[in-house]
Amino acid sequence: MNKIVQWIDERISLEAARKFAKKKEVPVFYGTVWYYLGGVALFLFIIQIITGILLTFYYQPGVNTAYESVKFIVSKVEYGWLIRETHSWSANLFIFFIFLHMFTVFFAKAYRKPREMTWMTGMLLLLVALGFGFSGYLLPWNELSFFATRVGTEIAGALPVVGDFLLKFLRAGDEVSGATLTRFYGIHVAVLPLIAITLLVIHLLLVQFQGMSVPPKLEKNPALRRGAIPFFPNFVLRDLTVWLIVFNVVALLALLFPWELGLKADPLAPAPAGIRPEWYFMFMFQTLKQIPAHFLFMEGELFGILVFLVGGIIWFLVPFLDKHAGDPDAVSSKRWTRIGIIVLAFIIVMTIWGYLV
Amino acid sequence: MKTRIVLLGIFCLSLGYGDVVRKDACYTCHQVVDEDRDDDAKIMTHIDQDIHLQVGLSCADCHGGDPTAFDDPDAAMWDNDDFLGAIERGDQPEVCGKCHSDPQFMRQYTASVRTDEVQQYWTSQHGKLLQQGDEHVAVCTSCHGVHGILKKDDPRSPVYATHVPETCNRCHGDADTMAGYGIPTDQYQQYKTSVHGKALLENNDIGAPACNDCHGNHGAMPPNVVTIADICGTCHVNNRQLFVSSHLNYDMLNVGAKQCIECHGNHGIQPPSEELLHAGTKTFVCQSCHDLHGEKAAVLATQMDSVIDSLKRNYDQARALISTAEQKGMEVSDLYEFLDEAHRSLMQTRTSIHSFNIQTVRETAGPGMKASTNALEGARRSLQEYDRRRWSLFFMTLAASFLVVILILKIRNM
Repeated sequence: MNKIVQWIDERISLEAARKFAKKKEVPVFYGTVWYYLGGVALFLFIIQIITGILLTFYYQPGVNTAYESVKFIVSKVEYGWLIRETHSWSANLFIFFIFLHMFTVFFAKAYRKPREMTWMTGMLLLLVALGFGFSGYLLPWNELSFFATRVGTEIAGALPVVGDFLLKFLRAGDEVSGATLTRFYGIHVAVLPLIAITLLVIHLLLVQFQGMSVPPKLEKNPALRRGAIPFFPNFVLRDLTVWLIVFNVVALLALLFPWELGLKADPLAPAPAGIRPEWYFMFMFQTLKQIPAHFLFMEGELFGILVFLVGGIIWFLVPFLDKHAGDPDAVSSKRWTRIGIIVLAFIIVMTIWGYLV
Repeated sequence: MKTRIVLLGIFCLSLGYGDVVRKDACYTCHQVVDEDRDDDAKIMTHIDQDIHLQVGLSCADCHGGDPTAFDDPDAAMWDNDDFLGAIERGDQPEVCGKCHSDPQFMRQYTASVRTDEVQQYWTSQHGKLLQQGDEHVAVCTSCHGVHGILKKDDPRSPVYATHVPETCNRCHGDADTMAGYGIPTDQYQQYKTSVHGKALLENNDIGAPACNDCHGNHGAMPPNVVTIADICGTCHVNNRQLFVSSHLNYDMLNVGAKQCIECHGNHGIQPPSEELLHAGTKTFVCQSCHDLHGEKAAVLATQMDSVIDSLKRNYDQARALISTAEQKGMEVSDLYEFLDEAHRSLMQTRTSIHSFNIQTVRETAGPGMKASTNALEGARRSLQEYDRRRWSLFFMTLAASFLVVILILKIRNM
């Protein structure tokens, strides 16, 4: 092993990396556990890439082949069921941990200067993850995914100015069809991974360059700190432990709660009862359902979409709007924290409501 | 009187009544006349929903008279040679048949309309008795109503499928009306409890047979012995085909037995079950004609019952195992094809007993036995696969957990 390291060291100096690893430290305090969330999301993304590549060996996009090939994967391919279930469960946990990571970063005010770009690349990664979820949901070409995609693209089509174009672009025509399926497949396995990996590299480099952020309260009162541990190997080993636990959880979920394949999509059949989007779109879906048909001077649905759009942009720009984020006692900083709590409560309540009705 | 009608006519016109009122003196005046009548005697209560009025016919098209004579009742009614007034029961078939037996006339309303109702009516028991002068029998209006006649497919019509049993029962369930005809009056009560009656009256399944589906409607007749299998066979095609080729059919015809009815009953027919074949029990259907023990019939029934029973047990077992595998998250949709085939075969085997030939029954059950065995084996393989998955996952998570423990120990020592 030493010989290999020496061989590499002679060709590319590993000294810089060694120095960096030795120097980098992770603060220890009551919120150190939050630092694992981004790592867990990264681990789940790696699982997605591996299982996704394995699925492409057998998956065949197409109206007459998509459903059949997924059925073949789960019933005939050796351990195909594990790969598909892991891909589905890991996808959901991936988005869940990104949300969790985002809110811990938000409440810890870790987006404040100089980490604005880290926040923004993270937000873009969340959007890409939602795009992965939306495009991947259609790929098994079953009844639920077909109609959920129809509803989802209709919502995108309700956007002002670009709505019509967006609808046709996403569907590759006027209706959800085989062309939509191949388009979603292309987006899911080529376009989004390229964007995601680019953003992820920037995001991770920024984290490495800037180090771990600590909450402003901790900065102001160093007594709350319980020291620091080296990033390598101490924190990396802890990260690895958490990853292995998550791996076990994913494997157990895959076995105990398999995702049903359901019935094959039939574009001519009436929409079955209980069509609803994936859980991470539920809060938006439920909100749009509650808005009256006409609100103020526009259609209710359009109003809802615009509110989410504006809300998303504000959320994206929060590092620039929360100007006193570094001061835990500043009124404006506390106001942003309260806004965050309201947003979080809104998402939780609307999601639960969506599943109850 | 004359002045009163003229004044009423003017009054109605001034109120702006519809086209019918302006064009039809009968309608205008009888609305007024009805006002002084008891509810039972009123004739105009449902007139507006009458299909004849809606397609543009007038009262005069059935009753004769001059519907344009607004100001003179005599000119509207009695002065006309073709005026019939209230139509006698005995004349009804011919009056209705004036239009309903004329294909050219009827075609203007429906391209595929039938025009043989009156012709059939005269062949029916009702028609024959009417010809003999019995005016108590059913005529057109007895079933279709009068002065408010609806199309037969209108769910409010007394001849709409779900209302037919009740409509027939108005006369056939009335002991006074039926006195002298020598037929029972409990058909409707029996029918209500039957498999057909429940399907039609409780589940609104208009595909289920009502009285007219077996007895005919305009040509209503009690089915005779030779035609019973044909009548039941209209819907139960396979049963009929097997039965008429069986030795039992010839034997029954020779002794004047009533084919299907002998085993299944008629108006109160119940859903058949394997219990009918349980020799030695009260439900054993063959015992009404055959001796109980040692008879060939009892042996055959037991053999047929045993074939059905083993197929059914295999099918139930396969279905239960597939359901268990499905609940465990296994992909078993392929096995449902076997299960469907086994179920189809089970139905066919139940039907095949009407051949009264054990060889035919066994041959029919063959593909079902094979399919249910395939389903059963597939379900077992699926459950074994599930166990294999659990074990492989157990070792995988064990290995990962072992690594977790090592890492925790390592972290503690750092």
